[in-house]
Amino acid sequence: MQELVLVQPGRTVGDELGQRAAQADTRREFEERLAECGPLAYRVARGVLRNTADAEDVAQEALLRAYRKFDRLRDRNRFRAWLVRIAFRLALDRLRSGKRRELRDTLWSQPEHQPPAATAEDLAASTEFQAHLESALAELPGKLRLVLLLAAMEGHTIDKIAAMLGISAGTVKSRIFYARKQLAEKLRCHANIIKTR
Amino acid sequence: MPCQHYKDALIEAAASGAQPQGYLHAHLNVCLDCRAAFEQEQSLFSSIDAGLHLTANHEVPPSLLPRVRARLDEAAATRRGWMPQWFALASAALMVVAFLAARAVWRTNVVQKPIETARKTSVPPPENHSPVVVRPVEKNPVSQRQFAIDKNPLAPETLISGKTMPEVLVPRDQEILLAEYAAQWRLHAHAPLLAQDSDATILPPLQVAPIQIAELDVKLLADQKSQ
Repeated sequence: MQELVLVQPGRTVGDELGQRAAQADTRREFEERLAECGPLAYRVARGVLRNTADAEDVAQEALLRAYRKFDRLRDRNRFRAWLVRIAFRLALDRLRSGKRRELRDTLWSQPEHQPPAATAEDLAASTEFQAHLESALAELPGKLRLVLLLAAMEGHTIDKIAAMLGISAGTVKSRIFYARKQLAEKLRCHANIIKTR
Repeated sequence: MPCQHYKDALIEAAASGAQPQGYLHAHLNVCLDCRAAFEQEQSLFSSIDAGLHLTANHEVPPSLLPRVRARLDEAAATRRGWMPQWFALASAALMVVAFLAARAVWRTNVVQKPIETARKTSVPPPENHSPVVVRPVEKNPVSQRQFAIDKNPLAPETLISGKTMPEVLVPRDQEILLAEYAAQWRLHAHAPLLAQDSDATILPPLQVAPIQIAELDVKLLADQKSQ
């Protein structure tokens, strides 16, 4: 069957071609950023959701939304920050809507037996500690969590994070400090340390 | 067991990642329990950092970018396909509304016309011998509207200006050709349209002369016979 297209004969060829060329430019420009920022969106989503499949879905959705609204972004240098915010917000929405998953994770994060004290390497390598850590991370306020995740990502300095989120470097440091401290308080019971007299 | 007095200071020092200074440093030199607790606290923060590093730098699935590209292609295709669907639906809805409106107008005319015609063509009572006068039939309102459109000088300008630009369905390979033809046509945008200037299309108002009926000359049959 022959494919039909709807055209406005009153428009000139230049209009049509110009529009297509503009769309192609937008796509090309977006593609350039996609390879660099796609993993960032995924990692932010993964840090919030703790689930690979969900994180991939959210990252795709975030990138798609970013593409649809790419023309409205005046300062293209702010693309990373913009994408991070979209991915973070979408991941939080997905997390809130997943009540069943939350309940399952809560039950799973309350083990009957506490793990014995271990070295830093052993603890980090421990899957159980990692699960506790991610649960504790999920309980952090959004602002602290995002900064902590970005700080933990490779290649992100304090200044870069500050520029990305539009806050001062001092605020970034402060948020990292409080976030780590809150995590330590939640995880201390799993490490069996600091029992004072 | 470490000393309660130094607990917060130990945690703060471990959280900041800096080496203890001043009185805390002096206390750690003399209190083995606090030193051990401090080392454990440092170990906890190290494990948190290592865990965060794992979480934050999770390996990106290789399928992510290809899937995103596929969805971008889909979105672009949907965007192209969505407009014709939308216009087709809108056109269909408009046609249905126009059909219903035309039908309603036609029905009203059909119901009213026989009554009016019957009134106008009714024979007067026999005792009144005044001549029958038939008035000219009223102009059809639909035709009047048509004349109004034809005579509206702004109508073709509006078409050309693009505010009510028509759309047509054409095979994909003829899209560019049609656009080029339209561009040629636009060069003559200010030329008079045939429908506007042709006198033949503007019909003169319908004028029906009153029917002349001679008065009846009634004579008796007996008189005719005698003559």
